[in-house]
Amino acid sequence: MSEHIADDAALYALGALDEVSHRRIDAHVAGCDACAALLGEAEARVAVLAAAEAQHALPAGFTAPARPQPAVAKTASSARPKWRAIAAAAAAVLVFGFAPSAYLWQQNRAMHDSMETENAAMRQLADGRFRTATFAAMSDGSDARVMYSPDGSWYVVIVRGATKALQVAWMHDGERTMLGTAQPHGDVAMLYLPRSHRMDQLALVDGPAVVAEAQLAY
Amino acid sequence: MHSPESEDDDRLAAAFAARESWAFDEAYRRFGGLLYSTAYNVLGNADDAQDCIHDALARVWRSPNAYSRSRGAVRSFLVVCVRNEAISRMRSLGRRARLTERLAAEPQEHDEIRIADPIERDRLRTALAALPPEQRAPLELAYYGGKTHVEVAEELGAPLGTVKSRIALGLRKLAAALGARQ
Repeated sequence: MSEHIADDAALYALGALDEVSHRRIDAHVAGCDACAALLGEAEARVAVLAAAEAQHALPAGFTAPARPQPAVAKTASSARPKWRAIAAAAAAVLVFGFAPSAYLWQQNRAMHDSMETENAAMRQLADGRFRTATFAAMSDGSDARVMYSPDGSWYVVIVRGATKALQVAWMHDGERTMLGTAQPHGDVAMLYLPRSHRMDQLALVDGPAVVAEAQLAY
Repeated sequence: MHSPESEDDDRLAAAFAARESWAFDEAYRRFGGLLYSTAYNVLGNADDAQDCIHDALARVWRSPNAYSRSRGAVRSFLVVCVRNEAISRMRSLGRRARLTERLAAEPQEHDEIRIADPIERDRLRTALAALPPEQRAPLELAYYGGKTHVEVAEELGAPLGTVKSRIALGLRKLAAALGARQ
């Protein structure tokens, strides 16, 4: 176990630590009740200061953040897979990818964070807590969507009726950043993209040509 | 003896630690105004404050080990989460200069209704002024200036360990003064 946090508790609560030290403390208090209590005391002091500052009424239209929702009953299926079913399949893929790597948790904090993101993506997909954008109609009859987290932490691009692999690109500032390839499995191609920021325009690319674009709203 | 209010807080803390969905909603219902004010007081913008709260709470909820009962009150845990997210955004945007001017400046008027409590703010200023200068200076730079302890030490020309302990002591004294209600 790393060393106890002592005066760093106050610095953490004040936001006066750098990112590396902040994460070190997060990891430490997860397994040290004494330091968690010490940190809680420092947080209570900062909360006293925050409450003594000017208070503002919530603006009209301020929405509560998303949280886990209870499972929704399944609806009737049709010959073509429903988007919700595809989302569930995507969640299953993420679960499959998550479980074998779980033993690395204590070995690699970055890996842990990545798995947390995948786990969150899985839950959000399974619970229906995600946003969706549709790619403009494609000439070969396939259709595609991107399901993504409201905070931009992950994206899943899914192409129905896919006949070949398509690359996914982020379009920004007049540039094209290639993110990966959606590989077809049966007639559905999928690509999961953990990211650290919001992307507002994605494109499906076949060779040099952009075949469809999607605008993402947050 | 526990008051009904503290029992309520205990129940919320237990449910929040167990990641029960109702606890997330209840915490937001109870503390949403304080969280918004906390974010707004750092960022100075309603849209940024809202985004900040959403991102901070989403991160809390998707991190199974983020909160435990031994951490204490959910309220203060969330205030610090939101405030740290807001400070992180300010740092990344390079707008720290706006923060450093805040202590001396009067709050700006904006579209939302401000629930000002001049008595509380006076108490804060009085309590800050009562701190010894060697504790007040690093605390102000950290809390209002949004600076890291390394930056505070550089600015004050003091050893890092000294700055750490002075900030911690100043925070304890300040919170004790503010917590001692009439």
